[in-house]
Amino acid sequence: MKSLSHTSYRRGCYYVFVYAALICMLVTFLLPLLWVLGLSLKTREQIFTTPPLFLWWPTLENYFAVLSGGNFLVSFWNSLLVTTSTVLVSLFVGTPAAYAIARFRFPGRKLIFFSLLLMRMLPPIAALLPLYVMYSLVGLINTRIGLILAYTTFSLPVIVWVTRDFFQSVPRDLEEAAYMDGASRMGAFLKIALPLAKPGITTAAILSLLLAWNDFIFAAILTNNATRTSPVLLSTYAGSETGTDWGAIAASGILVLLPVIVFSLTVQRHLIPGLSSGAVNDARIP
Amino acid sequence: MSHDDRHPERLVSPPGSGVRRLTTAGLVSKTADLFFVPLAILPTVALSIAVLGFPLILSLIMSFVAWSIDQPVSEAQFVGLRNYRDLFADPVFLASLGLTLGYTAATVCLEILLGLAIALLLNLELPFIRFFRTALIVPMMVTPIVAALCWKLLLDPTYGLVDHLIGSPVIWLGDPTLALITVGGVSVWQNAPFVALLILAGLQSVPKEVMEAARIDGATKIALFRHITLPLLSPYLLVAMLLRIIFEFRAFDNVYVMTAGGPGNATLVLSIFVYNTSFFSFDLTLASAASWIMLLIVLIVSLLLIATKRPKETD
Repeated sequence: MKSLSHTSYRRGCYYVFVYAALICMLVTFLLPLLWVLGLSLKTREQIFTTPPLFLWWPTLENYFAVLSGGNFLVSFWNSLLVTTSTVLVSLFVGTPAAYAIARFRFPGRKLIFFSLLLMRMLPPIAALLPLYVMYSLVGLINTRIGLILAYTTFSLPVIVWVTRDFFQSVPRDLEEAAYMDGASRMGAFLKIALPLAKPGITTAAILSLLLAWNDFIFAAILTNNATRTSPVLLSTYAGSETGTDWGAIAASGILVLLPVIVFSLTVQRHLIPGLSSGAVNDARIP
Repeated sequence: MSHDDRHPERLVSPPGSGVRRLTTAGLVSKTADLFFVPLAILPTVALSIAVLGFPLILSLIMSFVAWSIDQPVSEAQFVGLRNYRDLFADPVFLASLGLTLGYTAATVCLEILLGLAIALLLNLELPFIRFFRTALIVPMMVTPIVAALCWKLLLDPTYGLVDHLIGSPVIWLGDPTLALITVGGVSVWQNAPFVALLILAGLQSVPKEVMEAARIDGATKIALFRHITLPLLSPYLLVAMLLRIIFEFRAFDNVYVMTAGGPGNATLVLSIFVYNTSFFSFDLTLASAASWIMLLIVLIVSLLLIATKRPKETD
């Protein structure tokens, strides 16, 4: 880019053009969210003005209204509870399997591995009707536990794919040394491999967190008003027409987004390999 | 698993030492080692079978029987492919299948093209470029329901920002053709950043020395892109494309919130079709057959994805 053949005038034009394109990109992708953040900070009168208001004194009244009504808090609590449990249970179930697949050769290893990839690819709606029937029969319908089990199952592929890569990068010698000292397989796993694969486990945890937190379709079908998560509550706002409380919709939306955005920015470097389900193993956001 | 929490140190001699002290703890530890792999795998396999495998088999069986929800299960009759034949005779299903394939093709193409353009832009080494790369993570992480809801407010014909900016009241979600384009557009908005960042990772893996050497040899920028960047990038593009096909094909959240399949059946994608058939018409056998058609299509694309040589093999 810094070739001497360019005159400074041409270089100037180039920079103007590139930054204009970058800023266009930023506006396209962030303005919609910032506008809704703005809506959440407006009074009802300020929201329903034509033309829309671009400068105003922000108010938190929508947030107070949302947080003082019971519905949002119940759903938010359900979301928190279900998401946290999903992360913990799926790590507990998934990491030993990932370790076994990374370290040991056993019959069915490849089959399990690729079945897990397929599981990630299946459209959830295709499994939800029979799951609904089954849950109704065993009494798991409308329970948080049922939802946690479903999310855990759909998290497992991500957990296994991501942590397997990290377990494979842990040198085998360390575990061999532990065996020489008399450690059991479980001991070597818990005391050596697990601590060393910590970055991978963090990534896997946050990917499973995103899956559970952002999901709508499972919760829409498997929960009722008492156990529904925030996206399900939010979807009920969609049916109504313009007369509805936009301020409350915007404020609840922003409250649901905040934790996700904070979490994903913390693990940004590992998001791409995780989201591609290991299809791109080494891709990190540079 | 509790017996492993104790430290069976020095009770088992190192392998190959020839001395084996047969203490009880040593035996327990050895037995536990034998069972380690099965125990580690079991919960994952069991949960997958219970929550996914079993329902899928149930659904496969249901797709081959005639049964309605108010009948006892014992009256279900095997009818072979009749549900599938009914499905392919149903104009609503056929329209939904065609619409979903078109929607998938269009959104994926746009996501790849837009993603590639953004990735090339973000690949430039410029001041503050990291800020732009990080900012792009936000839309792809946003809860899809919230994104759809935000866009619903933005696209409101009376008070929405978009119609104000373009200066005419366009009814984005009320017009049959426009509704599908709009719903797809929201998905492109949310997922193009993912494609861009995936392709950017690919661009960063293009060795700088090769580019430099070709440039010194007098290759033009277009030639560099065609003959060096694109071939090295193609596995990333392929993975991005197949993944996006799989995820756009199951589109549900954005459609459900913005149009719920309407107006009429203008945005009735397959997921919504299955949802309505299952939970509104309660036609469980027909819904199961439709589910399995979806599954088969996804299976083919997934097998292609697995068969694709991954950009870099780790094992």
